[in-house]
Amino acid sequence: MNEPDLLIPPAGPPRDALLPAPVERVLDNGLRVVAFSQRNLPLVSAQLVVRCGGAAEHENEAGLSALVAALLTQGTTARGASELAATVDALGAQLNAASGFDASVVGVSATTPAFPAAFALLDEVVRRPAFAPAEVDRVRTKSISDLALMYANPNALVRLVAQRVAYAGAPYGHPLAGTPATLAALGRDRVAWFHERFYRPDDAVLVIGGDLEVEAAFALAQRVLGTWRAPDAPLAACPDGAIPVPRTRLVVVDKPDAGRTALLVGRTTIARGSPDYYAATVAAAVLSGYSGRLNQEIRVKRGLSYGASASLSARRMPGLFGASTLVDHTRAAEAVEVTLAAIRSLADDPPTDDDLITRKATLTGAFHRGIETIDGIASALSEYVLYDVALDELNHFAPRVNAVDARSVREFAARALIPDDFVVLVGDASKFVAELGARFADVRVIPVERLDLGSLSLEALSATG
Amino acid sequence: MRMKREPVTALPTISASAIDVAPIRYVDRTLDNGLRVILAPDRRVPAVAINIAYRVGGKDDPPHRSGFAHLFEHLMFKGTARTAPETIDRLTEDVGGYNNAFTSEDITNYYEVIPSNHLERLLWAEADRLAALDVNAQNFATEREVVIGEYDQRILAEPYGMLDELINREAFAVHPYRRGVIGSPAELNAASLEDVVAFHTTYYRPDNAVLVVAGDLDVDETLGWIGRYFGKIGTPATPIPRVRVVEPEQTAQRTYEYRAPNVPLAALEQAYHIPAASHPDAAALDVLETLLGYGRSSRLYASLVYDRQLATSAYASADLREQPGLFSVRFTCARGVALADARAALEIELERVSTLPPGDAELERVRTQIASSVVRSHQTNNGIALMLVRATTERGDPEVVNGDLARYLAVTPDDVQRVARTYLRTANRTVVEYLPA
Repeated sequence: MNEPDLLIPPAGPPRDALLPAPVERVLDNGLRVVAFSQRNLPLVSAQLVVRCGGAAEHENEAGLSALVAALLTQGTTARGASELAATVDALGAQLNAASGFDASVVGVSATTPAFPAAFALLDEVVRRPAFAPAEVDRVRTKSISDLALMYANPNALVRLVAQRVAYAGAPYGHPLAGTPATLAALGRDRVAWFHERFYRPDDAVLVIGGDLEVEAAFALAQRVLGTWRAPDAPLAACPDGAIPVPRTRLVVVDKPDAGRTALLVGRTTIARGSPDYYAATVAAAVLSGYSGRLNQEIRVKRGLSYGASASLSARRMPGLFGASTLVDHTRAAEAVEVTLAAIRSLADDPPTDDDLITRKATLTGAFHRGIETIDGIASALSEYVLYDVALDELNHFAPRVNAVDARSVREFAARALIPDDFVVLVGDASKFVAELGARFADVRVIPVERLDLGSLSLEALSATG
Repeated sequence: MRMKREPVTALPTISASAIDVAPIRYVDRTLDNGLRVILAPDRRVPAVAINIAYRVGGKDDPPHRSGFAHLFEHLMFKGTARTAPETIDRLTEDVGGYNNAFTSEDITNYYEVIPSNHLERLLWAEADRLAALDVNAQNFATEREVVIGEYDQRILAEPYGMLDELINREAFAVHPYRRGVIGSPAELNAASLEDVVAFHTTYYRPDNAVLVVAGDLDVDETLGWIGRYFGKIGTPATPIPRVRVVEPEQTAQRTYEYRAPNVPLAALEQAYHIPAASHPDAAALDVLETLLGYGRSSRLYASLVYDRQLATSAYASADLREQPGLFSVRFTCARGVALADARAALEIELERVSTLPPGDAELERVRTQIASSVVRSHQTNNGIALMLVRATTERGDPEVVNGDLARYLAVTPDDVQRVARTYLRTANRTVVEYLPA
C-alpha cells in the first residue's frame, strides 16, 4: 500500500434509512390494525399482539399465559397438532406464539401467494384453539422439564431470583415460565379461561406488512379478523401496583455444583413510556459490549470473567435494569465490588460526549440491523403499539439516541440507577460468602434446595416449621 | 349483519410455482491482481455486509497438518504490521456491527456487518490483513491452545461431537475430505510459525479470494476503495495448489462402531457419496433432503419420531460441496429403543423413497418449503453476501443464485426417485453406530 493508505480511513457521515411509513386504523370490533408496505421481497408478515401476558396471571398460576401461548399452535377445532404442522409446511409458512409479561404475540409469515392462507391459520389458532387435554399434558410436562434445565443454569437462575427480589409480589415478580408447582396445578379449564378472558379484539393490535399495499392489508385484516367479536365482559384493567423497594440488598443462592458464580446487580428503573428512555438506553450501552465499562473493568483489566454487560427491559411498568457477569467462585466478592463501582462511575466519572459516540453507535447499528427484515420491522412496531409509543419512532429512534448527551446520562444514573440497587449471586457460596460478609452488610444466603421462586420470600415453607 | 364463518376444514395449499423472487442484481469484476469482486447494492437500510472468502479449507490442509486452515482463520484476528490484535472486533462491535469467520471443507470466509458509513474502514482492514498479517510466536502458541480447547469442547466433550469427524474419515478412503476441518490436536501441535508464513503466502493472495459486499453501497465509490486498498496487493507467480484426488467409487458398505462415555442415547448416521454442488442432480438431492428429513411433516420425523416413537430426532442432509460430498440420514434413538429397531424403520423409508416416486401433493409441499426458504434467504445483506460467496467458490458462478428457484421447481417426482435410487445404495454407504460406552 502507498503511504497515505497506511492509516485506517475515517468513517463517513452516517446515512439515513428509507423506512416504510406505517398506517393505523381501528376495525369495528375494536381491533387496532397497523399496516406497512415494503415490497422488495415477496414476503408478508403479521403479528397479533394481545395486550395481556404474564403480568395478568395470578401469582398462584404463574406460567398460565405461557402455557396458553404454547398451546395455541398445538391444534385447533378444525385440525389437530400434526395436521396443523403439515398445513403450515405446505404453505412454506412460519407460525409461532409466545407470551411476555405485558403481551402475548402470535406471529405468521409466508411468501406473498401463500400469505392469505397462512393468515387464515393465524386467525384459526387465535380464535379456535382446541386445547386438547392430551396436548395440555404434553406441553405442561415439557415445560416442567424445561424448568429443570433453566434452574441448572446459574445465568438463567440469577435473573429469575433478581425478578423476585426486585418486584416481590408486584406483577413482574413471579417467573413467566411458572414453577413446577404452579404448572402442575394448571389444567385445560384455566387455559381456556385465560384465553377467553384476554384474547379479544378490543384489547389487541394486529401489525401486518411486507409485500402488499396498506389498503390490501387492511382489507385482509377486515375480511379475516373483522368477524372476531369482543366478549361482553368488560376489559380487565392493566395490572398495576406499587413496586416495593427490596428489603434485602444482597441475596446469595448457594448452588455448590455450579461451575461458576453468576452475579447480577439490579434495580427497577423506568417504564418504556418514560422520557428518560433514551438516556437509560445509552447508560446501559456505556456499560455494555466489549469496550463497555463493565467488560473493561471485569475482563480486560482484571480477567475476572469472559464478559459482562448491562441490560434494561423497559416495560409498561418500570422495568429491571441489570448488570451481570459470570465469574470464578473465589472472585465473586471482588466482582460484586467492581460491578457496583462500574455502575457508580456513570455518576462519579461520567462519560464525555466524545465517549458516547461509539456507545450510541452500538445502539443505532443494532437497531438498523434489526429492521433489515419485515419481521424485524413488525416486531419494532409491535413494541411501539404495546407501549403507546408513536409509530414514527421507526424514524426517530436513531436521532433520539444520538441526541442524548453526557449530562443526561450522568443525571439519569445518579437518580435512577445507583440508589436502591440490589445484588443477587448464584454459585458455590462456601467459596465467597465470608469475603462477601466482610465487605457488605446484610447478606442473605438461601440454599438452592430451599429456593422457591413461587414464594415471595424465595424460600419454601419448611415442612417441620 | 355479521357473517357467520364456516368452519375451515379443507387443507389450504398453494402451488410452489406461484412463488417468485426478483433476481439479485450485482456487479461482478475481477481486479488485475485476480481478486474477484462482487457488489450487490440495496440501499434501504444504512447497513452493509462484507464477506471475503479464500479458496482454502479443511481439504487443503498441508500434509500432516490437519486442522491448519481453521487454526489459520483464528490467526487472522491477531493483528498486522499496522494494527493491534482484535482490531477488526473493535472496528465492528464498537460501531454497532459484528464480525466473525468460519472454515469449511472448501473455503475460509471472513465477514463483517456494519453501518454503511464504516464500509471504507473495514475494506481497508480486510486488505490490511491480507497484505500485512503479522503473527508472532506468542500469539501463535496462544491461539493454537484456543483451537485445541475448541476441539476438546466441541468434539470430545459434546455428546455426538465425534460423529461428523467419523463420517468423513470412514466415508472417504483417499480424498482429503476424510480429515474434516477441525483436524487433530497432535498435528496442530506439530505446526510451526514457518508453516503459518508458508500457508499465508500460498493461499492468502488476491487471485485466491472472492470479495462480496452487499447492502447500502455506491458501486463506483466502493469499487474505488477496493481498487485503492486491494489493487496494489501483489499476486505471486507460483500456482495455487489444488486438490486433484478423486475418491474411487465405493463398492461395498462400510460400518464403523464407536463407543463413548458421554452418549445419552444411541445414534446412527448413514452417509452416501453424492456428486459436487455444481452437478445437475444437486437440486433433486436438496429436494430429497427436505422430503426425508426437514420439518415436522418430513417422512423421517413423521415415521420414526411422531408415529412410531422410535427416535427423538431424525433428519437428512445433502452436504453438497465443491468436490463430491455426502448425503446423510441420521437418527437418535428414543429411550429404551434398540438401535436395530429404529434402523429397520429407517430402512423402510429409504426403500420406499427409492422404489416409489413421491406423490404430487407431497412434492408440492416440499417444493413450497424450499422455495419459501429461498425467498427468506434474500432478507439480509449478510445472507445475500454468503449466497454469492458460496455460489462463486463452490459452484463456480455467482449467477447460479438466480437460477436456484427455477431449478427446485423443475424437480419432478421421478427425479426424486431417480436420485434416491442412484445414490442411496447399500454399496455406496458408510454407517456409523454411535453407542454409549
